[in-house]
Amino acid sequence: MTMKTLLSTASLALLLGSTAALAQAPIALGHLTDYSGPTSDVGTPFGQGVADTYAWINKSGGINGAKVNLDTVDYGYQVPRAIAQYKKWSGADKVAAILGWGTADTEALTGFLAQDKIPDISASYAAALSDPTGAGGKAKPAPYNFFYGPSYSDALRGMLTWAAEDWKAKGKSGKPKYVHMGANHPYPNAPKAAGEAIATDLGFEVLPPIVFALTPGDYSAQCLTLKSSGANYAYLGNTAGSNISVLNACKAAGVDVQFLGNVWGMDENAAKAAGAAADGVVFPLRTAIAWGGNAPGMKTFTEISKMSDAAGTAYRPVHYLAGVCTALYMKEAVEWAAKNGGATGENVKKGFYQKKDWVPAGGEGICNPSTFTEKDHRGTLKVDLYRMKVAGATDAPLNELVKNGGIKMEKVKTIDLPRKPDWLGW
Amino acid sequence: MAGQTIIPAGDFRTSYAADTTVFPTTTSRNAMIAGIALTCVAPHVVNEYVLSLLIQIGIFGIAALGLNIVVGFTGQISIGHAAFFGFGAFTSAYLSNRFGIPVFFCIPLAGVVTAAVGLVFGLPAARLKGLYLAIATLAAQYILLDFFARAEWFTGGSVPASAEPFSIFGYMLRGDKQYFYVVLAYVVVCYLLVTNLIRSRDGRALVAVRDHYLSAEIMGINLTKYRTLSFGLAAFFAGVGGALYAHYNQVVSNEGFGIDRSIIFLAMIIIGGLGSIMGTLMGTAFMVLLPESMEWLSVALRDSPIDQFLGLKNNIAFLREMAIGLIIIIFLVFEPDGLAHRWRQIKAYWKLYPFSH
Repeated sequence: MTMKTLLSTASLALLLGSTAALAQAPIALGHLTDYSGPTSDVGTPFGQGVADTYAWINKSGGINGAKVNLDTVDYGYQVPRAIAQYKKWSGADKVAAILGWGTADTEALTGFLAQDKIPDISASYAAALSDPTGAGGKAKPAPYNFFYGPSYSDALRGMLTWAAEDWKAKGKSGKPKYVHMGANHPYPNAPKAAGEAIATDLGFEVLPPIVFALTPGDYSAQCLTLKSSGANYAYLGNTAGSNISVLNACKAAGVDVQFLGNVWGMDENAAKAAGAAADGVVFPLRTAIAWGGNAPGMKTFTEISKMSDAAGTAYRPVHYLAGVCTALYMKEAVEWAAKNGGATGENVKKGFYQKKDWVPAGGEGICNPSTFTEKDHRGTLKVDLYRMKVAGATDAPLNELVKNGGIKMEKVKTIDLPRKPDWLGW
Repeated sequence: MAGQTIIPAGDFRTSYAADTTVFPTTTSRNAMIAGIALTCVAPHVVNEYVLSLLIQIGIFGIAALGLNIVVGFTGQISIGHAAFFGFGAFTSAYLSNRFGIPVFFCIPLAGVVTAAVGLVFGLPAARLKGLYLAIATLAAQYILLDFFARAEWFTGGSVPASAEPFSIFGYMLRGDKQYFYVVLAYVVVCYLLVTNLIRSRDGRALVAVRDHYLSAEIMGINLTKYRTLSFGLAAFFAGVGGALYAHYNQVVSNEGFGIDRSIIFLAMIIIGGLGSIMGTLMGTAFMVLLPESMEWLSVALRDSPIDQFLGLKNNIAFLREMAIGLIIIIFLVFEPDGLAHRWRQIKAYWKLYPFSH
């Protein structure tokens, strides 16, 4: 780079900065990510999706001409650090809204968010965050919490509905056995009660839960327990990293069980890492298509992806797409707020209620339609189930593996759950 | 070594009172009072971020002080201190939520309950020494942590427990500015208590146990009593610190009380100076500010030419953690006696300036 180009870019940046400042005060958003903690395996692509989206929004003129100051903070999945960060965001560095991450920290913040009127669209889909008034009676009111996609509980209800049909379709007799697996942590625990309740209703025999940590490790003991328990369907409540360890250990132990993955429990990276052990895992997908699929919104997504991958060759896992969708929903809510009285937390919250079957601009055909109301923050109850197919060795780069079909996500079924009032909040 | 003072030749004391005075000179007493007065002004001068750091230094400083009683003054070892800190946090939240006790009383009560737990887990210290004791306290760490995760009636299990904001007689304190004074008051009281403890008969017994347990026993000091007592005292201050922490965050999750936090407490007192009361606060300040300053550095590094040249991107987060470890190692190599020792040397240097050799 020559001095001249340097100078010209600098002056251009100055010029752009000053015009933006003249046009509109920037909108501050907080972005909580886990790039270094136990859920960093899925936190990294999701966080990248969010960061890229706002970089792209700023590049294409911001929100109503106002630049977005996205304050991305890696809190390492530690609740105390999230709370310390929140204190900054609700105090000195006031933000209009937060794009949050984990279940433990989001649930810990719920009360503060309501008190300070700061909306938080989290990457935690714990059902407890979907009851804005507490009317469901199962959770405390969470008026300022949102998330994009089916809740963990609803996703598990969908998977178990499918599992019951699968059991019959395979012509097996007797009661199928279901087991919940995951760390003793708010995130894997979130759908436990809901899953076990519907499993009982659907005629499963519910086995005692099996605990394994959120971090990768040796889980042979858990797999031996699983084997001896004779479980037929096992829910993996953790994120991909530790699930890979379980899948590998269980393959080695010769466990014959249908694994049901949490929405964060399986993705293309995990399939590559686990190889044949990941073959056959059924899991929900939050977006209508995966990377490289055919949809009108794919053009926007490709543009967004180029913000951190100028060459445009990177393969983006499912969590990246979900991250972009989440960021786009927040963007439109903020946009509505900015037009209707200013981008304050209260207005951004109202922004979420404006559209029915809402698909944010740029996410057409990718982000599933969502509807939020003042009494119900379950955006969607549609659960798209996919099965991970892994064929052969998975040593090649991810984009090649997907291209030549080494890793494939096969649609299993779409379960449309009823919007039951007594399922609200758990 | 720790506890050593630099007293010039010819400066001798003629009474026991003069020998055990807290402040050797009037200037040092006035400096301390002025220091506390200056700290009182802090909330009105510094921004909220600095204020939150000061509060953290205060809270962790109280807990680290407890650990210094065990490790620095009694010469035992504990790598389960964070669990007691957590126990205090959960106890205080539980007392105020379950029984409606005002938070004002919950904090000292949490200290007392945690002290009782500390006495139980301190029992192995009566029989074990050195590495064996270290492993026994490690067990305490894991037993308590597992208890936090499972005792749903007490902690809420894996769901974070909520803690009431601080209140006195119906008047609720909201915001960091007001809470700062609560923490400051506790810091002053706790540090005075321990300073006085060390001057007392019991305090001297603790130091005697540290210096040579056999001689101490021959002099008639009950080893079992004082070793166990030191754990109880340590747990008391950990409990008070934990309770302050709970009501500061208003949320207690069972994360953050793990072995890593215990090691950080140990690092605080080792860096500050084992067996030094003032050093404890210095070491705590060091350990609280180090990750923060690394954070400032990593923010400055992000998207800088160095970042672009090396292609660091998200690796900066990991570099930060490594840098923190590295700085601690370097610090221990070059400053093995802790910050308190360095502080005394600086003071001595200026006292003799310009004739120091």
